[in-house]
Amino acid sequence: MTMPEAKNILLGALAEGLQATVDFSVTAQEMQKFAELSGDFNPLHTDATFARNKGFKGVVVYGALLVAKISQLIGMQLPGRNSVWASVSLDFRNPLYVDQPAQVEGVVTMVSDSTGMAELMLTVRAAGKVLAKGTAGVIVGR
Amino acid sequence: MNTETIFTKLTGIFHDVFDDESIVVTAQLTATDVDEWDSLSHIRLVLAIEKKFGLKFSAAEVGRLKNVGEFVSMIQAKAA
Repeated sequence: MTMPEAKNILLGALAEGLQATVDFSVTAQEMQKFAELSGDFNPLHTDATFARNKGFKGVVVYGALLVAKISQLIGMQLPGRNSVWASVSLDFRNPLYVDQPAQVEGVVTMVSDSTGMAELMLTVRAAGKVLAKGTAGVIVGR
Repeated sequence: MNTETIFTKLTGIFHDVFDDESIVVTAQLTATDVDEWDSLSHIRLVLAIEKKFGLKFSAAEVGRLKNVGEFVSMIQAKAA
């Protein structure tokens, strides 16, 4: 497997307003893999009939898989390889469904030179709807 | 902003960051006086102070500080 190369935006190059996005969709196979990895077999995520009976259009993508895409955004793009998460907070507002195209966006809202920290505002969207909103604190290399 | 107001705000920040209501914030207080004051909590502390007071510090400015009293002086100078 060839690994994609992460960007490397250092603290001095980070500025408020800088943004990056990751387009993604989650496949049924990825849902199955995550169920096995996490041990979370809640039928809301594994049984379409159960999910429909609860008022959803189909099985609901695990929230943690949205967080996984945020991990990609931070670790690969903004800021990339010389960074590590210090915190993340996310509110889930609407469901994402299997194979539905979605996008996670990160926007730099604060850069602190004294601490080497940056804060990102995170938004996950699909079909014009906000699915999740939150923030992440990231320690960034100088 | 007067010194008393700054110490009152700092006390709230210290109690929250270190999750310890017993910390008494004085001018002489240093990292060695607080068990949980490590590099990560230091980042959270400075960030919380920047947010609370609406100020920005440089790494060099914070690196020069010897105790909380010097931090208070810096806050006063920047907030003036």
